[in-house]
Amino acid sequence: MLHLALRMAAHRITALIAVACAVLGGAALITTTGVLAESGLRSQLPPGRLGGADVVVAADQEFRPSGDLPLALPERATVPARLVDRLAALPGVTAAVGDIGFPAALADARGGITPVAEDPRTAGHGWSSTVLLADPRVEGRAPSGAHEVAVDAGTGLAVGQRVEVVANGRAPAAYRVSALVHAPGAGVYFADGTAAGLAARDAGSGGPRAGTVDLIGVRADGGAGQRVAAAVRDAVAGTGLEVSTGADRGAAVSPGVGSARSLLILLAGSLGGIVLLITGFVVAGALGVTIAGQRRDLALMRAVGATPKQIRRLAAAQSTVVAALALVPGIAAGYLLAGSFRELLTDRDVLPSELPLTVSPLPALATLLLMVAAVRLSARCAAWRTSRMPATEAVAESRSEPRTPSRGRTLAGLLLIVGAGALSVVPLLSRTVLGASVTSMAGILAAIGLALAGPALVRSAGEAAVRRLRPGVAAPTWLALSNVRAYALRLSGVVSPLAMGIVFVLTYTLTQTTVLAATSDDTRTGTLAQYELTAPALGGLPDGTLAAVRDVPGVRAAAPAGTTTVVWEYDELGEPTAESAPAMILAPDARGVVDLGVTDGGLDRLTGATVAVSGEAARTRDAGLGKRVRLVLGDGARVEARVVAVYDRGLGFGPVVLSRDLAAGHTTTGLDQRVLVRTDGTQEAGRELTALAAGRPGLALASTAPDTTGADTPPEVWINLALVVVLLGYLLLSIANKLVAATAQRRTEIAALRLVGTTPRQIRAMMRREAAVVAAAALACGLLLSAVPLALLGQGFLGHPWPAGPAWLLPAVAATVVLTSYLTTELPTRHALRTPPAEGLRTG
Amino acid sequence: MSTAAFPAAVTARRAPAIALDRVAKSYPGGVRALDDVSLTVEHGTFLAVMGPSGSGKSTLMHCAAGLDSPTAGSVRIDGHEISGLNETRRTELRRERVGFVFQAYNLIPSLSVEDNITLPLRLAGRRPDRDWLRTLTERVGLADRLAHRPAELSGGQQQRAAVVRALAAKPAVVFADEPTGALDLRSAHQVLDLLRALVDDLGQTVVMVTHDPAAAARAHRVLVMADGRVVEALERPSAPQLADRLVTLGER
Repeated sequence: MLHLALRMAAHRITALIAVACAVLGGAALITTTGVLAESGLRSQLPPGRLGGADVVVAADQEFRPSGDLPLALPERATVPARLVDRLAALPGVTAAVGDIGFPAALADARGGITPVAEDPRTAGHGWSSTVLLADPRVEGRAPSGAHEVAVDAGTGLAVGQRVEVVANGRAPAAYRVSALVHAPGAGVYFADGTAAGLAARDAGSGGPRAGTVDLIGVRADGGAGQRVAAAVRDAVAGTGLEVSTGADRGAAVSPGVGSARSLLILLAGSLGGIVLLITGFVVAGALGVTIAGQRRDLALMRAVGATPKQIRRLAAAQSTVVAALALVPGIAAGYLLAGSFRELLTDRDVLPSELPLTVSPLPALATLLLMVAAVRLSARCAAWRTSRMPATEAVAESRSEPRTPSRGRTLAGLLLIVGAGALSVVPLLSRTVLGASVTSMAGILAAIGLALAGPALVRSAGEAAVRRLRPGVAAPTWLALSNVRAYALRLSGVVSPLAMGIVFVLTYTLTQTTVLAATSDDTRTGTLAQYELTAPALGGLPDGTLAAVRDVPGVRAAAPAGTTTVVWEYDELGEPTAESAPAMILAPDARGVVDLGVTDGGLDRLTGATVAVSGEAARTRDAGLGKRVRLVLGDGARVEARVVAVYDRGLGFGPVVLSRDLAAGHTTTGLDQRVLVRTDGTQEAGRELTALAAGRPGLALASTAPDTTGADTPPEVWINLALVVVLLGYLLLSIANKLVAATAQRRTEIAALRLVGTTPRQIRAMMRREAAVVAAAALACGLLLSAVPLALLGQGFLGHPWPAGPAWLLPAVAATVVLTSYLTTELPTRHALRTPPAEGLRTG
Repeated sequence: MSTAAFPAAVTARRAPAIALDRVAKSYPGGVRALDDVSLTVEHGTFLAVMGPSGSGKSTLMHCAAGLDSPTAGSVRIDGHEISGLNETRRTELRRERVGFVFQAYNLIPSLSVEDNITLPLRLAGRRPDRDWLRTLTERVGLADRLAHRPAELSGGQQQRAAVVRALAAKPAVVFADEPTGALDLRSAHQVLDLLRALVDDLGQTVVMVTHDPAAAARAHRVLVMADGRVVEALERPSAPQLADRLVTLGER
């Protein structure tokens, strides 16, 4: 059977290129998704600062809901400091160091800031942490007392020089450089006691994190690593702390990486569904065209004694051979594509640039299995009807199409379209990003429904058109419309992928832009403050900034704000569910700078263990005013908080807002991340604020007005747009292939038409008219199928039944469709017209 | 499929190549293509079926060859009952015992002549009998054309290749559906000579459907059909005799 399959495949090489392209593109996309998913699960940062530690003990930075993937907790959770001595006493341990990190930065003479570590929020450490460096080369001596530091040699400072250091929000203070450490980005080292004091971590400080360290690094005697790791595990058993060695140590360096990895998993998850849908559709479509082209051959084989099963096996074997050839470059391209995708994400600061991709054969294997299964199944389905025909009909029918599109197929298609219509109501009910994502899913389901129900629809449309034709109509028009009616299956095979492309681009892009418009509308109307003061290079706003801002003439209100991550546990349909979401941190005085559209309660009550929740969340999670909600804060602390306000603008401000009191001590730094400032609107006030920011090193003043450069656009939008472009390219390629293959298979027909006296000119005119019908039908179907979900989306999110988005999108889509349809018909027709008609008949 | 699955064949005297008993075939919509046809074809004979268009001769062939199943009656091929078998079982029986020659040759364009010839054997999972195939291809004059594609052969050559394909599995009976319909006079003669020689020299059984009296005259026996019934059976008729008979049928 393989021999036959190969022979027949070799003869059909042009038609099979469509299948090969579909498989190649699909394999690339699935492999990419697989690599992203695997990296999300297994990728680790290099151990960096902890390279010299054999064993690292740190808190568990993941929340593990039952029966679901773990959720990352990005705020540093602490380890009791007293554990350090216990671990140091274990046999084989040469050193156990309690490591702490706190905001620190060097101020230069001109009032600028020199960054000293990747993350300024944790750039300051105690001197003993240098023990954990892989290869600590130190010039000078350890800092001692409250006025000496050691800095990275890369800063260009020299031992003995004086330098201004801003540490944990304190005013810049002068320190003497006592040592240079040769470790890039290692940060600023203070004497251990000074560091603990600055970070308020010493047992006596009374702060929320007193008596704790971030992590404990343990160095072991040479060769004793394994034994020490086991001993450390025993020592911390039952405390919930994580003991890591080797590559796993990377996770302890920066807990924020966990959330980046969750993002990768999330991304792969949302990508996976749509990629599989589109790949399956494209591959099945390409195989359908190829096998339709071999109908006659397959029918002949039936006549000379092939059983229906053999026909299906032959179709499957042939497609598998082609798929196998295309899989190799496809999978290779997938790994490369994953690399470029990672670059896109790191460029947008969605992923830390040190986080590598995990490259293993697993995604390739998964792709192989998925694609081969999809190809074999599609091929068997495509050959099903031909294989089931009685042998007599096989010979008679092979020159035209099956008489009627199967009723089951039409029914399934119509059901899918109706189901998609029902799905697209979701954005009306749930005004969340998740609710909006249903829109594009509904659009694509509807397009698949169209592909199934298409033949029946196209046939009835064609029949209606032919009946209405006037008798004197031009021959090419009459021919074109007759073809539309007679070859409904072939035509709808061309129309439906084009329509799907349109639906995909419109729903996917417009969903993004609509949600973005609604979100920025929420944020814009909800933000009363005109200015936002931050200090990214310092790791947080220095103490006293808020008071200074409030003293500026013209400032009406100023309030601190921050963002953290919370996991909200609630019951959904009786099932315990946990959802991780970004949450704003606001103080009771936030009313002067933000208007969340509070409908119940008030933000002034945000003191103690309280939260404000969005109306959406209040409704679906039983969290109305006065109710208590269970939350897991960003460092894993479980808290119960009372709802003191319910607000409308959940899209712009998230499902939950924490009181500053509740979040205190549960964030990596204790500093405010930003201060929102509302002025009287005069230029004078703006100038005063600018002067204030300029006068204090590291402060940055920005307008809260949405900028038009797109720099504020959330990374998901970029990811989704990149996805649209990649998938659109794939779809267009397969559509073009399909159209070319479909036209090429009509050589016999073209030859026959020429023999009965149709001029090449008339044939080209006929084909052009068919192309026009195809483009028009695809546009009409695509627009119709996108219109319903998008109208509902617009109604739900913007309050009017149309989406928000760029005006050029629709004309651009229409032009692309018309051009694709024209080119892919015109070129193969010209090619077919070059062969003499008699020969065309013989070889067709 | 092994012959053991069809134990009915075990009889002292060899069963006729084809035996139809009161076969009827009607199509949805009430068209009655075959009406109570009974017919026996003994091994080693050459039968021609004639009749005007729509007389049911093609349907008769499809039913007798197991390409289609009759609505009523019994069809036995080489002693094996085929009515009531499903599509797969019928296909398997067919490729064991029946060979086909079509008007349009029906060679697979993507396969070489040799691959076309061995295709039914391959589909049956049987090893081709090389000597037998060499004998056949030499006899029809295609021995040096085996590596060619069908499109590189003349119509007569293609039809002779189709005849070899039909015989490759040493079937009990060969059905030929208008085998000369698409050929020029000389090629048609060659193909008819070949079919007749197969019967005379090799003891092959051939059933040929045709509307050409000259072709039918080469058969041992000719059935004339009209309106789904066998209206006449003629032993070794001459071509003019057959032509007359057809004209009178057409005038009825």
